[in-house]
Amino acid sequence: MTEQVYFEDVSEGQEIPAVQITPDKQQLVKFAAGSGDFNPLHFDEKFAQNMGLPETIVHGRFKYAVVGRMLTQWAGHKGRVQRFGVTYRGMDQPNKPITARGTVTAKKQEGGENVVELDVWTEDAEGKKTTPGTAVVALPGRG
Amino acid sequence: MAGEAKTAEAPFEITDEMRAQIGVESEPWTYEVTTTSVRMYARGIGAEDPVHYDVDFAEQQGFRSIVAPLGYLGTPVYAPGTNDPTFGFPRRGGGPRLNIPFKRLLDGGTETEYFDVICAGDVLEETSHLADLKLRDAAMGKMLFITNESVYKNKETGNVVAKQRLTSIHY
Repeated sequence: MTEQVYFEDVSEGQEIPAVQITPDKQQLVKFAAGSGDFNPLHFDEKFAQNMGLPETIVHGRFKYAVVGRMLTQWAGHKGRVQRFGVTYRGMDQPNKPITARGTVTAKKQEGGENVVELDVWTEDAEGKKTTPGTAVVALPGRG
Repeated sequence: MAGEAKTAEAPFEITDEMRAQIGVESEPWTYEVTTTSVRMYARGIGAEDPVHYDVDFAEQQGFRSIVAPLGYLGTPVYAPGTNDPTFGFPRRGGGPRLNIPFKRLLDGGTETEYFDVICAGDVLEETSHLADLKLRDAAMGKMLFITNESVYKNKETGNVVAKQRLTSIHY
């Protein structure tokens, strides 16, 4: 667990700590079990090839969850993710690194809360953003 | 009929009948959040924070129990014949019935709004409705974007804890 971040420590344009994962097929099978998504597109090579793909692909929802991991690790146990959303713009393959990143786009006090807005995304090994989105996080203040 | 030229199939368009399905609520379904299911999901995404695994630690941090990772809103109660065997989602009454000609499907996007932390032990009631329909022209032809919104209530408190919008792309 990283150190708790506070609203006063955050500035617009700031990059938050990235999270990288290289999911192998076993990891994706674990995700299938945890999420209940047993689409064979994510673990059966022949099924994927019959769908016209060269190989299996990573679940979009897996990448979404890795963005979620990044946000919760940054916000800490006293922070709260209020909203986060992504669109799936590109496919990722297993055994290749996926990196979740985020940049602060705004900070404001709203409804008595310290609110931070971010651009978030995952990128593939070539740096292509395959899962862009946005997030809103409430952070504790030092006061 | 013999000798009669076939009429070309009209290009797909979103009809008023389809738009009338927007907002129609499904029947409710129960989603369970258990210590085992939270740990399973946390393992699935490679999470390492003990707040997703260790009940004592989570309670020391001020949570009711271990915390559901973001993206996990419980597991739908499953029984053979009542749920989709591949994805687990419920096949239930109510909700939209769209008759669309497309055979291929892509996951278009996910957005979740949280109103409370979800922890092991929570039992949620989920209802779903069609939120949006959009038709776009793409290189490979027409693509229909269907967005469904699910609302999750804590069954004990009755409070809405999350809303999730899922967009699927049909082409």
